[in-house]
Amino acid sequence: MRSLRASWGRVQEQTWERIPSRLRPIVWFLIAFSVVFINRFDDTWMRMFFLVGLYATLGMGLNVVVGMAGLLDLGFVAFFATGAYTVAIFGSPVSPHDAHLNYWVLVPLAIGLGALIGVLLGLPVLPLRGDYLAIVTLGFGEIIRILALNMNDYTRGSSGLFEIRKPDLGFMVIEDVRAFYVMILVAALAVWFVTSRIRDSRVGRAWEAIREDEDVAAAMGINTTRYKLMAFATGAAVGAIGGAIYAPFIDFVAPQSFSLQVSINVLAIVIIGGMGNTTGVIAGSLILIGVPELLQFQETADFLQKFAWLRDVLNPVIHGFNTVTFLNLPDLPQPEDWGKKLALYRFVVFGLLMVIVMVLRPMGIFPSKRRELEFENPPEAELAASQGVG
Amino acid sequence: MSILFLTTPEFWFDQIVNGLTTGSIYALVALGYTMVYGVLQLINFAHGEVFMIGAFAGYGVLLALGGQDISGVMIVVALVLALIAAGLASGATAIAIERLAYRPLRNAPRLAPLISAIGVSVFLSHLVDDGFLNGETKHYDQIFPAGKLSLGALNVSYLQLFLMGASLAMMAVLYWIIQRTKLGRSIRAVAESRDNAALMGVDVNRAIVATFALGAIMAGFAGVLYGLFFSSIRGSMGFIPGIKAFTAAVLGGIGSIPGAVVGGYFLGLAETVGRELLNEIPGVNLPNEWKDVVAFALLVLVLIFRPTGIFTQQEGKRA
Repeated sequence: MRSLRASWGRVQEQTWERIPSRLRPIVWFLIAFSVVFINRFDDTWMRMFFLVGLYATLGMGLNVVVGMAGLLDLGFVAFFATGAYTVAIFGSPVSPHDAHLNYWVLVPLAIGLGALIGVLLGLPVLPLRGDYLAIVTLGFGEIIRILALNMNDYTRGSSGLFEIRKPDLGFMVIEDVRAFYVMILVAALAVWFVTSRIRDSRVGRAWEAIREDEDVAAAMGINTTRYKLMAFATGAAVGAIGGAIYAPFIDFVAPQSFSLQVSINVLAIVIIGGMGNTTGVIAGSLILIGVPELLQFQETADFLQKFAWLRDVLNPVIHGFNTVTFLNLPDLPQPEDWGKKLALYRFVVFGLLMVIVMVLRPMGIFPSKRRELEFENPPEAELAASQGVG
Repeated sequence: MSILFLTTPEFWFDQIVNGLTTGSIYALVALGYTMVYGVLQLINFAHGEVFMIGAFAGYGVLLALGGQDISGVMIVVALVLALIAAGLASGATAIAIERLAYRPLRNAPRLAPLISAIGVSVFLSHLVDDGFLNGETKHYDQIFPAGKLSLGALNVSYLQLFLMGASLAMMAVLYWIIQRTKLGRSIRAVAESRDNAALMGVDVNRAIVATFALGAIMAGFAGVLYGLFFSSIRGSMGFIPGIKAFTAAVLGGIGSIPGAVVGGYFLGLAETVGRELLNEIPGVNLPNEWKDVVAFALLVLVLIFRPTGIFTQQEGKRA
């Protein structure tokens, strides 16, 4: 019993206490909020919370690759798709290869396949400079979509796979949005726990060393290729978990769901939230996934009706501007469409934010403490070198 | 060789011409990747979007000059103006990107400029698609004379001849600039060693800006040629040609200018002739959509077996 308590203490020390104290009330609030108010929201809201949780999970996976090991993976959607298709191909009656397997058997299979594909993809490029990984993953993210579209015998092409068997807990079947939300919450917590434990282990320290200086890490006896592969495979496995939960939730697995935009979403969450930091990833997911979804709600449209007068003020200005400049700018749309229009521009904003964050605050908006220190105080060796001592 | 006789020689001739046509577009775009990588060791992910901007600038000029109604000698004028506009627009875009998104990060950890580059790419492609076009696809006016040159049973359309000829001419001019002018010499010096070049009195920033601009002008020209040949253009059009041109640059040995050109033509041929050759093997059937997969598989294979490029002699220069 004592050892159990001691290990719990260590867990608390190394996960909970890593969250900056000023952010802890927010975490408490979110937990209380998600448990207590779960029945107060309608399905649209719960869908948004589910997506935020899903992308937070995916973000934590990519964070291992980008934030901890410093490798740029631009095709994270590939692993997400692997997870979703594994569950769909072997667990849907419409699939030509239905294996009649229980969902809980397919999840470990999905995780294994995700990690395997990660290893196979990483093996040729990880021994090389990091840049090549970026372009190969970018290509592979697109290739997996083309493969899914053309391998009709497995994926049914663009007609997709549906009627995917739901996760059965024995006493209940997870099919309601709320149940899926709780499921993704549990998955997110599990991923958080595992990734933060790895980060504090020997492996995590090796990743950090590789991220900061690969040559020095290799000189210190770290097998860089092996550790980079490990990071890449861990990230891939988490991506596959996300896909495996997404497939029964959405109940329609088709190539069009696995576009480049998924990868960009996840990458933006990690970069803008703060590389290497789980709290940042959750905040990033709330802002980058939650807000655009929120903008498309009926409630938002109703609220925006209050600003209908803006049209009467601004439209004459636009007309005047058009007559002077010979431009043909459109009228301001109806207020109920503003939210949808704004949500449409989300990727324009993401791209811009990624550049701005890199140029002005390269450690992200909510950086990990360690990372922040690195950016503020360059390692002594570098200082010495720049002063001409080294 | 016997497998070749299952299909007619004309078929293979067409495939070769198609391969060389798309290959010349890849080659033009690949030049920008390889030059920027040569001086900064940076994959310029926004280069595909620079190519897209060029395509739209050319489209705008053709539309302004009368679109479908351009005829006679005006065709030549319109094409020249479209190419100039594309070169200027792409060049200006690339200079702005370098100044705002890359230069502040020149001494940052190596992940930072890569992320900034992908941010620029996402921003530009979605700005055009979501901001200006609402997801619409635009179509180039087919102003080019439709005829073709016939040699017995073998045909090449004038458009394809123009594409191949124009890109060769552009590459020749670029090669001359790099090898024979003072500016080109400063670019080569910076690619060799930035610090040493600076010590020798080379204005490093100027050379880097010139590298971006020259590569972007080539990409802008390629954008117009792409529009003339494939007609449909949209904000995200730069993505796949961008990846392929990068593949071409890697095939030829990244950092090497002749390598990028050879790599571009090789990739164009691999996609068409190579894919059809694979189809000659009984039991293999790769439809046209698989050409992207062929290109990508080639990239991975080259990275495994010859990361310095398949045509290079010196080992260990990059990678």
